[in-house]
Amino acid sequence: METAVQTFDITKRFGDFTAVDHINLEIKQEVFGLLGPNGAGKTTLTRMLTTILVPTEGTATVAGADIIHEANKVRERIGVVTQASTLDNELSALENMNLYGKYYGMSRKQRQDRIPELLKVVELQDRARIPVGSYSGGMKRRLEIVRALVHEPEVLLLDEPTTGLDPQARAAVLEYIERIHVDHGIALLVTTHYLDEAEKLCNRLAIVDHGKVVALGTPTELKRQVSGGDIVEANFSNLPEAALKALERAEFVLQVKRRDSSLTILVKNGAEAVPKIVGLIDSNGGKLRTITLRELTLDDVFLNFTGRSLGD
Amino acid sequence: MKGALAVCERDVRKFFRQPFLVISTVVGPFLTLVLLGSAFGGAITHAPIAIVQESYGPFSSNFIDILQNQQSCEVGVINCQNSFQIIYVPDIDTAQQMLRKGLVKAIVHIPEGFDTSLSEKSNVIITVTLDNTDPLSAAAIGPGIVQASQQLSSLIQTSTSGGSIIGVDLENVYRTFLYIEFMAPGTFVQSIMFVSIIAGGVQVVNDKERGIIEGYLVTPLKKYEIIIGVLLAGVVKALISAIALFFLAILVVGVRPLSVFPTPDLMGITLTMFTLFLTSLGLIAMMTAYAVRFSTADIYRVSSFPINLTLYYTCGAIYPLDGFPTWMKDISVINPETYAVHALRLLMYNGAGFGAVAGDFAFLGVFTGLMVILSLLAFRRGL
Repeated sequence: METAVQTFDITKRFGDFTAVDHINLEIKQEVFGLLGPNGAGKTTLTRMLTTILVPTEGTATVAGADIIHEANKVRERIGVVTQASTLDNELSALENMNLYGKYYGMSRKQRQDRIPELLKVVELQDRARIPVGSYSGGMKRRLEIVRALVHEPEVLLLDEPTTGLDPQARAAVLEYIERIHVDHGIALLVTTHYLDEAEKLCNRLAIVDHGKVVALGTPTELKRQVSGGDIVEANFSNLPEAALKALERAEFVLQVKRRDSSLTILVKNGAEAVPKIVGLIDSNGGKLRTITLRELTLDDVFLNFTGRSLGD
Repeated sequence: MKGALAVCERDVRKFFRQPFLVISTVVGPFLTLVLLGSAFGGAITHAPIAIVQESYGPFSSNFIDILQNQQSCEVGVINCQNSFQIIYVPDIDTAQQMLRKGLVKAIVHIPEGFDTSLSEKSNVIITVTLDNTDPLSAAAIGPGIVQASQQLSSLIQTSTSGGSIIGVDLENVYRTFLYIEFMAPGTFVQSIMFVSIIAGGVQVVNDKERGIIEGYLVTPLKKYEIIIGVLLAGVVKALISAIALFFLAILVVGVRPLSVFPTPDLMGITLTMFTLFLTSLGLIAMMTAYAVRFSTADIYRVSSFPINLTLYYTCGAIYPLDGFPTWMKDISVINPETYAVHALRLLMYNGAGFGAVAGDFAFLGVFTGLMVILSLLAFRRGL
């Protein structure tokens, strides 16, 4: 399989702050997710890969071209969907697409062949001549995604493509992204802080925190890396310090995380652990409201690797 | 009423959290007061006038002395200066050419036989041709010369106890010329400046704020292509606005440029359009270079307001430069709008050719070139 993106100890420092710290990644013709909280370094990494920022150290190749020395080749071969909308609301979808095509030096013929077809992919062909300002958030996103495909890029980079959309629109956008990957066979690099999105969309994921890759693999692999346990979530109305200490000391507990009036407990075997947890809290004067046993999610994986939750 | 107070408190609190806004509410009117007040309050001084002397003798040289020493004072400052700057010109034709080129504001013709007639105690007439395309200067220069002639008359009468009268024949070189026509060229330049601020600079700041510029940078577009595209778009918008005003001035206000009436002069119109083009490119580039530094459109818009006022009030658009106090004249010398307005007036009303505006074009050309370079540099560094 061809390599779409490869980074070599890529690093970016802003003064004393290291935003991206010696990251080495190889991305094939796949949907690759960069997952991490705000400020983890995802956007800085993406900005380097799209040639907007120059690395302080190291380099990368994108679509076979070096991001430092062949920046123009990179720009010709990538499509970028930025987090904030960069559509011109006063112009129609066709005008937006056509202008973008002109930035890439496409001929009128090339544009006429390609643009209507792309609009059809995201089902915007009937509204192609209406100013984009009247579109819903989801429609705008869809348009931006196909606009980034107008010049047939080899790699598509999407920075938080579903941020700010309602669940229904999110689902639709994700579906289109998947379809584009399958139909056009291009590599996709998606940054996100939505776990369900990453799980659904990505073949492989890198969890990024403090500028470093802390875990890498398919969603299933990552979950397996969290030493084979279950998650118990407990809501309490009262939890004395002694009860928390007792839980942390218990040999069947792998990790305890307290947030407001809830506990997230990683245990080896959920079915056995639940009654023990109830007992421990009870005997230490705590009072439980609910207790739930559930399967691992990427949030737990994230918690495991970074020591904090994505929601924090 | 408690609710009203809360709403009021919110508005006032927010107002004082935006120091730029607070300052701008004071700076704008203050600039208007100082600049407009100083311009209108000032007397016309050092107005260049051409003297065509065809008679030599004690009376004519006495008359020229009186003109030379006539003083006018700036209001508010005890600072009297010579009203006129005398330029000797050999013949009427040359003087008229100079008037057309805007080099002199009036021609004073001392006719042959002036001295002999006066010594023979006959009446004489001095012909004064005024450049009334600058109506405010003309209104000051005419009476100034009449006053000088009266002074000479009374001198002669007291010394010789004889009664000869020196008459002054005031002529306007152009048909009736309205102040509104004098003001019109400045308005075209003003519209270009508005476009530069509102449609040019704000667009750049907005695009920067929205990440559109960053969006450009991930495409194969070169930085210089982006800035040149932005500048050209600005010129198109500014020219549309300035040309629309040109026609509105003709159709609605009744401005009658010589380059259009009675017979359209293609060269005059072309040079007028070229002036507008050069001015547009220069001002758009200036405001673009300035705008690149800002991250929010609000602060940019508010801060460009005083720049606009200063340039407009000191360019001679609404009051002739000859009436400015020295410090305002100094600003006008480096103000590109001064040269634009000067060139437009000469081309529109004096029927002047390229030669008369070459100096204005040279300044505007150099200014525009510098601003385009500056905007390219600012763009490279600011984004």
